[in-house]
Order: sequence, then structure tokens, then C-alpha cells
Amino acid sequence: MIALLRYQAALLVGSHRWLPPVILYAAFLAIGIQSGGPILDAFGYAAVGVLPVTVWLTRICLTNEPPAARSCTATAAGPGRVHLASVLTAAGAGLLLGLLGTALVVLLSDPHSAHQVAVPVLPATGAGLLAVLTCLLTGLALGALCTWPVLRVPGWGIPAGLLGSLLLLVLGGSPANAAMTGLVTGSLHGTITVPWLPAAAAILLAAAATATACALASRRG
Amino acid sequence: MPERMRLDGVGRRYGVRGPWVLREVHLTVPEGALLRIEGTNGTGKSTLLRLLAGIDRPSTGRITGRPRRAYVPERFPAAMPFTSAGYLTHLGRVHGLTSAEAARRAAEWLERFGAAGHARTRLAELSKGTSQKVAVAQALLAEPELLVLDEAWTGLDRGAREVLDRAVAERVADGGTVVFVDHDPQRLAGAADARYRVVDGRLLAQEERPGASAYPGAATGPRVTIEAEGPPGAAPPTGPPGTTAGAPRLPGGAEITPGPDGAFRFTVPAVHSDALLRALLTARPPWHIRAVTTAPGPAVPPDPATPYAPDSAPDAVPDPDEAPHP
Repeated sequence: MIALLRYQAALLVGSHRWLPPVILYAAFLAIGIQSGGPILDAFGYAAVGVLPVTVWLTRICLTNEPPAARSCTATAAGPGRVHLASVLTAAGAGLLLGLLGTALVVLLSDPHSAHQVAVPVLPATGAGLLAVLTCLLTGLALGALCTWPVLRVPGWGIPAGLLGSLLLLVLGGSPANAAMTGLVTGSLHGTITVPWLPAAAAILLAAAATATACALASRRG
Repeated sequence: MPERMRLDGVGRRYGVRGPWVLREVHLTVPEGALLRIEGTNGTGKSTLLRLLAGIDRPSTGRITGRPRRAYVPERFPAAMPFTSAGYLTHLGRVHGLTSAEAARRAAEWLERFGAAGHARTRLAELSKGTSQKVAVAQALLAEPELLVLDEAWTGLDRGAREVLDRAVAERVADGGTVVFVDHDPQRLAGAADARYRVVDGRLLAQEERPGASAYPGAATGPRVTIEAEGPPGAAPPTGPPGTTAGAPRLPGGAEITPGPDGAFRFTVPAVHSDALLRALLTARPPWHIRAVTTAPGPAVPPDPATPYAPDSAPDAVPDPDEAPHP
């Protein structure tokens, strides 16, 4: 598995296809994170951006290997494991971005609520990281479901990913929305809402989506 | 021969209501064998190979056995951000080798295919033939138990095609199984242990035509005779894969006749000559080689109008295509 992860990571780094989503996330942070803004708001904002970017990265990692080369690796390691390695590589890339976003928020934001109640930085950062993780895993699940072998019509992947990201951020039932709302609402009064429940839901969601995609990878090979 | 993999009533179709590409396939894949799959375009040959390679799962039926496998596609893509050696090292690791061993074998196979000069070339800059060499090297460096070749010879120059023929013979001699599809009817002629034909999605075992069998007196391809002397008192090796005490296991279904002074003459299809020599020389105790000669014409000449590529002829002048480009 380590060999596959190294291979996929090298494929992602060397292909330069990671650049557009990274630029998107950087622009998103540059627009929204203001120096001296309330820290919990900023954490919520940084986490939100991770979701669509991870959807995009997952799609990139899952389509990065040309089909004939994929046949070679799938023969050597099994189609399911090759698929899993692609998804995990996307997760790693998304996590790296999320951590950078969180670090930026810690550096720039003001540890106060919107009404000048002091917010302890360390617990706030913990909650922020968990929100990033929630959005990352939700994005990973959506990305895995919006790509071959689950969604097999090539032209639908991108619109489905975009619409799905939007719905997951807006609809109340989604883990990403719950985590973000918790942080932003808490920011009004300086209360830190650690998104345990949304994170747990996101883990289940990502595991189920990835397992489905990996199982289908050999069926529809 | 012990079996490596078995397909029982295997069928494959794409989509729930799609037409059956393969139906009712029964196939036993033995160890140490060379299997040829034939069939016209679009009959399901590639699908069968993908099932054997484990890329695809059957829609119905069962496949038992999970050997270590490697696969060579017909066309290998260039659109990957690696050098030849870099890609092969990655794939070697995916096949379970250490980094050092993967890099060593990558260099070795590129050299055997005359592509050592392209080790540091990016895949995107390789010619079609050279990138096919990379695809073949990727599979061979893993020394797989089951090697699946889907028209792997396509695009290779003559020298590289011969190297691949010999590599296939070596793999079989080492107990590996090779399954291949190729449109050239002379490909590995006389060396295949069994031939199958895919017709309308069904797999039919082919009757051995006279001249298509691997075993005595029937090979059509160029053949080589090796005269060798066993250790004193060694039992004369008899028949295909020699199980007689004192006799090495012989690749290629060698035809054996007693020679002068207690020596034996082994006649095999030319692609197996290296593997046979290796088997004789590495046997414990080793055999002594007295002479290696091109065998007189095939027992049943298939068609005098089409001469064979002189695989066994001494080829002192290297093929210009083989030479690494600067």
C-alpha cells in the first residue's frame, strides 16, 4: 500500500493538476480571512473551502492514471487497492491544504468573538481542525461518488461535484454544514462548539463512499 | 501439472442488461505453461485476459486462485510525469520489491530491450516502440507467477520482439504461466502448450494442428539442438518436463534422442534454447554442453512460401532499431 501511495503521490505532484485547486483555496482564503477578524468565524470559513477543493482533488487523483497504466497497477495490486490509494492520496493533499488554512487563521485572526469575548486559541484551533477534517471527509465521500466507477457518465462528474458541494454546504443535515454552523454561531458569544458528531458522521460517510467505490472498481473494470 | 488458476462457468457482461461478452468459460491455467488465446477482433479476448489479470471480475461464475500477476497492455500511454526508470521503479515497488531491487531490475530489463539509453527519458518523450518496451519491462521485472500479454509485441522492433519471446520462454521454464494474445500466427510458434479460441464469447480448446504442438516432432518454428552430457550415471531424461531422477526439468518440451558417447540431443523451439541451456547448466549436478546447433528444418514444414524470421541464425550485426538512441 505504501508503494501505491508513493506512486499516486508522485503522479499527483508531477502532473501539476494539483495547482488549480490549490490556487482556488488560496484565493478563497485571501478573500475571506481578514487580519484581526474573529477566530471562530475564520476557522469555519477555512473549513468550508476545504470541501469543494477536496472533491476536486479526489477527482484528479482518481482520473490521473491513464487507463492502460491503471490496468498494470491493478493487476499487480488489485483494482480495489489501487482505487483506495488514489482516494487516500487525495485525502492527504486535502489535509495538507486544510492544515495550511488553519495555520493561516491562527496567525492572522484575533482570538476574540464577534462581541469581543476572549476565545482561548488552543481549544478553538482544535475545533477548527476537527471542522476541517469534517469538511475534508465529506468532500472525499462526494468526490469518490462523483467519479468512475460509481458515476460512469464522464460529463456528469463535474456538475454533480459542484452541485453536491453546494448542497452539502447549505443543507442543514450535512456534517460539513453542521460543523461550520457550530463554529460561526459559537463565535457570536465566544463559545467553542467542538464538532464531534459531524466529524463522526463524516468519517462514516467517507468510509462508506470509499468502500463502495473500491468494491465497484473491480466489478466495473 | 498443478493448477494455478481455474475459471468455472465464467461469464462477463458490462452493465446489467448489456450483451454477454463472455459466456460459460471453463479454463484451467496450469503452472509452468504457455497458453495462447486466439480469436477475431471484438470476440472477448481482451475481456478474458482482464479477468485472468484480475482487473475485472466475472459477472457470473467463479475464478479460483490468486497468483502474483503482471499485465502488459497493447498500447502504453505516455501521459505520466515519470522517467522510464522512475516509472519502472515505482511499479517494481507496487509489485512488492524493495526500492533498490526494483531500480536494479528496471535497469536490467531496459538494457535487455536495448532501451538503457532511455532510462532517464520522460515517458512523454518516448517513441511508441520504446514506451511499449517500458510496458513489457514493467511486467517482466516482477517475475510474476502469471504473466498476461495482450498483444504485447505490437510496436516492438524485431530485436525487442525476440527478447520478449525469450523472456516468455524463461518465465515458463521458471515455472511461471504466460497467457498471450497476438495476431501473428507465428508468434511463439511451436512453443505454446495449449491454444484456445474465443468464438462468440465462448472459449473453445483448439485441436493441436500438426505442427503446432510443443511436444516431439511437431514444432513449426525454428528449432535448436543442444548436445549435452549428463553427470556419470545420470538417467536419460525422458519426455516433457523431465521428472526422471538426475534429469533437470526441461523447458519447452524438449525432444530427446540419445547421442554419441552417452550424450543426449535435446531439440526445442528456438525461443526455448536459452531456457533449456540454463536448465541444463544450473542442474545439480550440472550437465556439460557439447554443442549447440540449429536443428534441421521442422518436422512438418507448414508453408515453404513463408520463411521464418531467422531467430536462431547468428546475428552479428545489431539491428539498427535496437541500438539506443542518443
